[in-house]
Amino acid sequence: MSARKRTLLKVIILGDSGVGKTSLMNQYVNKKFTAQYKATIGADFLTKEVQVEDRLVTMQIWDTAGQERFQSLGVAFYRGADCCVLVYDVNVMKSFDNLENWRAEFLIQASPQDPENFPFVVLGNKVDVDGGNSRVVSEKKAKQWCTAHGNIPYFETSAKEDYNVDAAFQCIAKNALKNETEEEIYLPDTIDVTQNRPTKSSACEC
Amino acid sequence: MQQPAQEVMSTAEEQEKWLADAVALVQHNAFFMHRALDANNLRDALKYSAQMLSELRTSKLSPQKYYELYMRTFDELRMLEVFFKEESKRGRTNADLYELVQHAGNILPRLYLLCTVGSVYIKSKEAPAKDVLKDLVEMSRGVQHPIRGLFLRSYLSQISRDKLPDVGSEFEGEGGNVMDAVEFVLQNFTEMNKLWVRMQHQGPAREKEKREKERSELRELVGKNLHVLSQLEGVDLEMYKEVVLPRVLEQVVNCKDELAQYYLMDCIIQVFPDDFHLQTLETLLAACPQLQSTVDIKTVMSQLMERLSNYAASSPEVLPEFLQVEAFTKLSNAVVKVIEAQPDMPLVGAVSLHVALLTFILRVHIDRLDYVDQVLGGCVKKLEGKGKVKDNKATKQLVALLTAPLEKYNDVVTMLKLANYSKVMAHLDYETNKVMATVIIQSIMKNGTYITTADKVDALFELLRELIKDGEGLPAEEVDEEDFKEEQNLVARLVHMLVNPDPDEMFKILTTARKHFRQGGPRRLEYTLAPLVFSASKLVRSLQGREASEDSPVSLEKIFQFLHKTVEDLSMVPAPELALRLYLQCAEAASDCNMEPVAYEFFTQAFVIYEEEIADSKAQVTAIHLIIGTLQRTQVFGVENRDTLTHKATGYSAKLLKKPDQCRAVFACSHLFWVDDEGGVKDGERVLLCLKRALRIANAAQQMSSATRGSNGPITLFVEILNKYLYYYEKGNPQVTSNVIQGLLELIQTEMQSENTVQDPGVDAFFASTIRYIQYQKLKTDEVGERYAAIQT
Repeated sequence: MSARKRTLLKVIILGDSGVGKTSLMNQYVNKKFTAQYKATIGADFLTKEVQVEDRLVTMQIWDTAGQERFQSLGVAFYRGADCCVLVYDVNVMKSFDNLENWRAEFLIQASPQDPENFPFVVLGNKVDVDGGNSRVVSEKKAKQWCTAHGNIPYFETSAKEDYNVDAAFQCIAKNALKNETEEEIYLPDTIDVTQNRPTKSSACEC
Repeated sequence: MQQPAQEVMSTAEEQEKWLADAVALVQHNAFFMHRALDANNLRDALKYSAQMLSELRTSKLSPQKYYELYMRTFDELRMLEVFFKEESKRGRTNADLYELVQHAGNILPRLYLLCTVGSVYIKSKEAPAKDVLKDLVEMSRGVQHPIRGLFLRSYLSQISRDKLPDVGSEFEGEGGNVMDAVEFVLQNFTEMNKLWVRMQHQGPAREKEKREKERSELRELVGKNLHVLSQLEGVDLEMYKEVVLPRVLEQVVNCKDELAQYYLMDCIIQVFPDDFHLQTLETLLAACPQLQSTVDIKTVMSQLMERLSNYAASSPEVLPEFLQVEAFTKLSNAVVKVIEAQPDMPLVGAVSLHVALLTFILRVHIDRLDYVDQVLGGCVKKLEGKGKVKDNKATKQLVALLTAPLEKYNDVVTMLKLANYSKVMAHLDYETNKVMATVIIQSIMKNGTYITTADKVDALFELLRELIKDGEGLPAEEVDEEDFKEEQNLVARLVHMLVNPDPDEMFKILTTARKHFRQGGPRRLEYTLAPLVFSASKLVRSLQGREASEDSPVSLEKIFQFLHKTVEDLSMVPAPELALRLYLQCAEAASDCNMEPVAYEFFTQAFVIYEEEIADSKAQVTAIHLIIGTLQRTQVFGVENRDTLTHKATGYSAKLLKKPDQCRAVFACSHLFWVDDEGGVKDGERVLLCLKRALRIANAAQQMSSATRGSNGPITLFVEILNKYLYYYEKGNPQVTSNVIQGLLELIQTEMQSENTVQDPGVDAFFASTIRYIQYQKLKTDEVGERYAAIQT
């Protein structure tokens, strides 16, 4: 895999409508937050340079539409993801229950080479709401789910109060980088010898 | 020639194959592009990337397949972008690169490369962002093929997303200002919308359906521009109100395309924040009636109202904002206008618009019942002349319309204030109307809502008329008996919620209720009259002992008349057993009020029913015991009346069909002559007469059973009679002596040892415990113990 590819990490954020996917991304990348609800249409990404251990990598963070009707073209952008972030709202049980669906859907559509070990990270967002009084999904319950699904790292976050957001994305970046499953290396079947270019026996020059 | 069926079958496979072929070529060219990049060979890198991008020139792929191909090249272009950045670090100016990529032969690859360089160019700040953006969005006009153009512009939108000269962005200032950013996005949006709308006119008419499907898939590319606008920091309310919304709406209205209009309105509502909508309601709503008449505008408006309703519910602090902009008036006017503008709108659409509006009121103006009624009235107007609604979906919405305020206010009395409520309900078909009526009663029960005036009862029963009487819409087929019973029981329970502590009003309530119930026909009366009788008896109790005042319209006499008539109505059913019970209840109530003639009359009625209408022997047994029990408790009668009634009771007891029944009824009659209360009748002689008569009957029964053998009736009877004797003996009836009891004890023992007798462990046990009881009483040291000493066991 080329060094260029190595430094670009693709991260997909999934979760129900209104759990705060866009807000988490905006808080992380732009350090901005708005409480207003604005639906996301289609898929959209922002990039952020991030230092992981001693390496500088570019994270391409894909924010997605939680409402199905705003994702009409399908999910071709899942392809080549290095990490998938599953977000739910700790105050909405349904959004937690749906993590199962989002995860399954991602694995089917992205079809990573090693689905068992594909890195996911789960974020329980909006822990700030009502001082935690309106929360319906306990940390314990969320952690149990994560453990049961292959020890997925879990973070409780608040995009509004910028709580744990950096830590979560740091972990996301680290796990994405660890995702060593290399993309299938393309080897051309035939090399056009008529072209005026020196060809080598080995396809890879790295 | 291929068969059409095969053609259809092969479409999906063909798509897969075309995509696979294109992907292979993308990979092939990407491979060489990477090699060139690794070798820092710009010329080759551009050449292979252009060849790779040429694959996007295909017209064969469906939007979703094209998107897959696009994503492949998109990922590869990121590598190229990194390379361009390095290139500029190595000293090549971005302006140079920007020129260089324009040498690509084909326009589509050229523009993709241009956008990619443009992204780096803006990032480097070597040129103002606004200029590069303007150039790119203008140049993109060169691609007019809808799918290719839409994806190219989507690419432009994507790579420029974080480089817009938005407020607070690093590109603001020399790179331009938020107005430039907005202009850029709006222009891209406008062009994309045109491409998208134009698609419908391209290609043969017979492929219209397929084309519409493709257009529908492509919609997110167009809508995403609105998302970008909504994410701009600099698009504040002012900017949204003055520039963004009018410009977007202009496109929406003018494109005259059903799909685009519906989708883009949906997008506007969803991507922009609540307070923006609230502050621009007039503008947004004004666009609605201008849309094509085929646009599903009711869903659009319902979604808007739902959003605003949720916003209102989110925090009480936002409510003043709603009042300030007169949101309700605007929404309600818009609903009227839209319904007028779309005369072909199906009924369900119009009704669901009203449901959305009502939901909005219930969230925002909970105190404005007049608004609620106004919305219901609007719906009534739409339903005018339509009679019962037949459409299932519309019916569902009507039910929602009626249920929403009920659930919100939890108070049926509030519903009764809504003049239009019953008018809407009248449009429900028979079955649904009944369901709704049931829901109303259940609400009353659940919330403990008391209906406290006769007027309200009148209004309520008007609402529930399908349950209370046979309406015009009554279906010909037989109603399910169980359902009917359940419904009527529910109505019966409702009676107990009709209460007022003031006797005058309460009496009016009862009269009103009966007036309605009487229209229900015999089948219903059986259920509805009984609770009414009990409710009236309760009223009797409350008046009992109170001084009757001259001017009070209600008196005990009147209530008893009411009771009399009410029970009398049961003869229409007919339900003699129930009527008998109710007469006895009334008699007891009259007795408690010291109204001897009235009580006597009720007993007389009870006997008349017994004589004339109760023919079944088992029912007779039950009835006679009820009569005896009630008569025993009735203290009001003077000697003469009492004698007449007890005489009748004992007479009928002795005439029951079966001997054991006769025997039991007769010994029960003994209690008519011995009331243990203070001042009660204590006629020991007549008690003994009854007991002796019971014994005679038991003897006769025993002889009959010895003849037939096998029946174990008589001995039980003897033991039962023994127990009666013991009772009176204990109570000090001088006529009941220890000798008589002794004789009876011996008689039973002899009978039990007789070989004719069939062994019955039940009777043995009964007798044994009677003996034990005697022994126990003997142990007592008081008067009772002394008395029992005379009995040998």
